[in-house]
Amino acid sequence: MILDLHTHSDASEDSRAPVETYLKWLVRKRDVLPIDGIVLTEHRQWDPTKDYRRLEDQYGILILRGAEVETDYGHVLVYGVNDDITRRFDFADVRLSALELIPAVAHMGGIAVPCHPGRPTIGLCEHYTSKPPIDGVVAVEALNGGSRRGENERVQQLIDRYGYHAFGGSDSHLVSFIGICATEFDRDVHDVEALVQALRAGGYRPVDFRDGLKMSA
Amino acid sequence: MSVEFDRSIIGSEFDRTVFGPVTVENILEYIAVTGETEPPASPADLVAPPTFVVCVRGHRFMPKNVAGVRSGFDAGKDIEFGVPVRPGDVLTSVSTVHDIYEKTGRSGSMAFVVLRTVVTNQRGEQVAVVDQRMMFR
Repeated sequence: MILDLHTHSDASEDSRAPVETYLKWLVRKRDVLPIDGIVLTEHRQWDPTKDYRRLEDQYGILILRGAEVETDYGHVLVYGVNDDITRRFDFADVRLSALELIPAVAHMGGIAVPCHPGRPTIGLCEHYTSKPPIDGVVAVEALNGGSRRGENERVQQLIDRYGYHAFGGSDSHLVSFIGICATEFDRDVHDVEALVQALRAGGYRPVDFRDGLKMSA
Repeated sequence: MSVEFDRSIIGSEFDRTVFGPVTVENILEYIAVTGETEPPASPADLVAPPTFVVCVRGHRFMPKNVAGVRSGFDAGKDIEFGVPVRPGDVLTSVSTVHDIYEKTGRSGSMAFVVLRTVVTNQRGEQVAVVDQRMMFR
């Protein structure tokens, strides 16, 4: 099963991509983008009222939700967001403590994983040069569709040293970027709880569809 | 936050400007500068292109109480178009501080101020909502 674990729709202030248009694109590009589902990880927010079940049924693509938050160790994706987590952490705060967030989210039933670790300023690699490692990190986004040359490559050193699991996501903010990088799971994932369990357990890897997409263009 | 803002200014109105009446000449001039080569409709049928609303500018671009900010730049705008503008319309623009938020990127932390301008005509109909983002650091 293949999921794009890192996407932004027009609910994020820097994206212009409607969720339904993402789905139309994935259906149209299914031969080169075999994506079974996407996880919407809007910036610094969590809206409990969002419901995409009608779109899921209409397009046959799983839609899960998480959030991308900002911490003193860079940006972090949070899956399994619930009331306990949003009561404790203000997702709009761009100075959340990663040392506090990552273990606490795990304790409250979710999982928080650093994204684009190779980026300057907002990636884990740079912060690990001057701060202690974070307890409880299970996985890192080893393949990010929005990263620049060299940024994804830096992450391998982190994985080798700390034994983190590796996953991928497109970090799409534009329709044509959805699904270009994703995560292949050995097990089926049909809801957020299963996603959290799967990310904790391992048995997944990043997958890159950019070459196939270029060839089909 | 590298730039400190008083969030209590969110929602505050900082400009109200009346523009017009819009003339046939205003619209024809705008059409000309956009490079349109099709002959315009007769004055009786003339409708301004939707983007004409960007000509409606308030007297003040930013509220006075963010004047302590040293520098910023245009981070883009979203425009929601409403009813069309026709000759004779009197347009009123009302500008408020719609939002202030912070984010971090490759180059460090940034603060964004969203200035919302709502343009209405003499009948109270909404002509446009313009959200102008300014970025400060």
